Amino acid sequence: MNRIGCISVNYRSAPVEIREKLFVNPQDFQCICARDAEIYALATCNRTEVYWTGIEERAVLERMEALSGIPGETLLKSCEIFRGEEAIKHLFAVASGLDSLVIGENQILGQVKDAYRAALAAGTTSVFLNKALHRAFRTAKRVRTETDIGRYPVSVASQAVELACHIFGDIGQSSVLIIGAGEMASIAAIRLKERGARDLSIINRTHSAACDLAMELGGKPKPFEALREELARCSIVITSTGSPDPIITRAMMDEVMKRRRHEPIIIIDIAVPRDVDPEAGKCYNCYLYDIDALKAIVDKHITYRKEETDKALDIITSEVERFGKWVRSLDAQATIRDLFALMDEYIASEMGSNSLSPEQRAAVEQKLRISLKRFLHRVASFLKEHPTLPNIEQARRIFQLDEDYQDRHKG
Amino acid sequence: MIIRIAILFYILTGIGFIMYLFWRDSRIVLVSRGLFLASIALHVIHTLFLGGQMNHVPLASPAQATNMIVLLASLVFVPFIFRKQTAVLGAFFLPVAGFSLGMIGPHLDESGGMAPALSQTWYPLHTVSVIAGEALFAVAFVVSVVYLIHERIIRKGYLHWTASGLPPLKLLDRILSVCLGAGFVSITAGMIFGALWASSLGVELSHIGAKISAGAAMWMVFAFSIHQRFAIRWSGGRTAVITIAGFVFMVLLFIGMNMAYPESHGIGLTG
Repeated sequence: MNRIGCISVNYRSAPVEIREKLFVNPQDFQCICARDAEIYALATCNRTEVYWTGIEERAVLERMEALSGIPGETLLKSCEIFRGEEAIKHLFAVASGLDSLVIGENQILGQVKDAYRAALAAGTTSVFLNKALHRAFRTAKRVRTETDIGRYPVSVASQAVELACHIFGDIGQSSVLIIGAGEMASIAAIRLKERGARDLSIINRTHSAACDLAMELGGKPKPFEALREELARCSIVITSTGSPDPIITRAMMDEVMKRRRHEPIIIIDIAVPRDVDPEAGKCYNCYLYDIDALKAIVDKHITYRKEETDKALDIITSEVERFGKWVRSLDAQATIRDLFALMDEYIASEMGSNSLSPEQRAAVEQKLRISLKRFLHRVASFLKEHPTLPNIEQARRIFQLDEDYQDRHKG
Repeated sequence: MIIRIAILFYILTGIGFIMYLFWRDSRIVLVSRGLFLASIALHVIHTLFLGGQMNHVPLASPAQATNMIVLLASLVFVPFIFRKQTAVLGAFFLPVAGFSLGMIGPHLDESGGMAPALSQTWYPLHTVSVIAGEALFAVAFVVSVVYLIHERIIRKGYLHWTASGLPPLKLLDRILSVCLGAGFVSITAGMIFGALWASSLGVELSHIGAKISAGAAMWMVFAFSIHQRFAIRWSGGRTAVITIAGFVFMVLLFIGMNMAYPESHGIGLTG
């Protein structure tokens, strides 16, 4: 397990000015990826991480330094370094969204997979990192299905979209009205578009701003005077203007609902001060949510996600343990291979200095090989069944397989 | 024996769908769907067998009428159960179906007040239409309950995992609207067939007045609901509330009428 290392420059350890200089990909590391070495690089807006095996940590740092132009000292101060089991644990946590800015977000898994595809295309990963990454995908899937960590939206925009989905089902069939051209409204509109909204109208007091946002989102700009008509037509309304007074009143909604023939409408009012008179929400089939209501729900969801983190960490611990077993079984196999190579060496040296006829030689060699194989079989079986580090070390020490094994494994 | 196994299967299916509501595991829904089909198959076999024994549609007692309502409502539920978005409706319908069948199961073989002589052309048409309408209202009732629960959750805004499996309000409203419309047409046709049947037997109005009044009252409740739904566009919550009230009224009438006039369908002969 100690063969793996990770350098992570993330939102906790470094400001965006440093992170943006470190937008690397696996091809950038091909030059330091010698035979038996593996490297995997992940770069997102919140983190740049490099995982390696079979390479010196210093070489990776120097390469990162050369790629980013960030001085080594600054780079060291801006990164977190994980080694061995900690690196695997970190990889699994990243893939599961536990290390993300918004705990439990699921975009990161797609990014980890994309980076893996790039690494495969560049040929920088092999047995060890391939296995580690597949285990990371599996862990992320378990975390997602066995815990509620990613189940509830934790942004006001996502919660608004979720509520709309609960009322209308397929958002693609519903018309959306965005009132105001502010950032919050546009984020909500983007979320709605991601969920399939096609018919998007944008109304703003400054018509040019509505036109700009409409252009950006692929919607239709409408004059402010068309507000009533659009309210009567659209089923999902997101309003976020800077108006000091409500722009949608109870009387207006009464009239609108009549024109809509009481078809349900959801109004998400994310403006402060509010754009919609709270009384308007009392109209039949009108679902009104203001920013406070949505924030309260989102806060509840965030708390819930945090509570689920412990469960997710348990899953990660068990998966790291499983991966550790696999790594140890690799070590055990290598030791077994070395033992049998030693046996061949021993037989060759014994058979080299005697005066037997070829037939006698073959018979003795066969007998010797069978006896030694029987003897080694016990050791091999034991190592296969109990591939722990002390057992492997013990076996290598007894048979004097190599001197540097312990040094390698103590990192 | 067959009906006992069917009841057991209905209950198991209900438990399965309740589990699915909470755990949303595809294996649970797969098993539950299988059990549901088996329940319906057994239920149909038993009803056909009963009809064969009686030599006419097995609707000669309140127990048999309830049995038929449950069977038809279950058949209406088949497409819902096999649609991913509406499968959880089974968690609300099947326990009620299982419980109703459990209550009437032991009395299914008892023939009520109807004499075989009454089995004329209009009688099966009358009963089957009315029962089909009532079955559709039963489905509308279940959908209304789910609608109100889901609407309440949405109004609060906290969409718990269990709630996230409930069908969207718009879909529930569409199902409700179809069930109410079809149920109303069926009940209306049933009432017309009933009048034709009574007149073909020369029954005096005084003998079946109570039954006609009760039927007319129930018809009025649903007519009001339909009118508000289609003319004034009371979609959603209000329709759901009226449907629930109408269904409860229908059940009370059904029980009340059968207790007060146990042989009301036999009056034609004796009168």
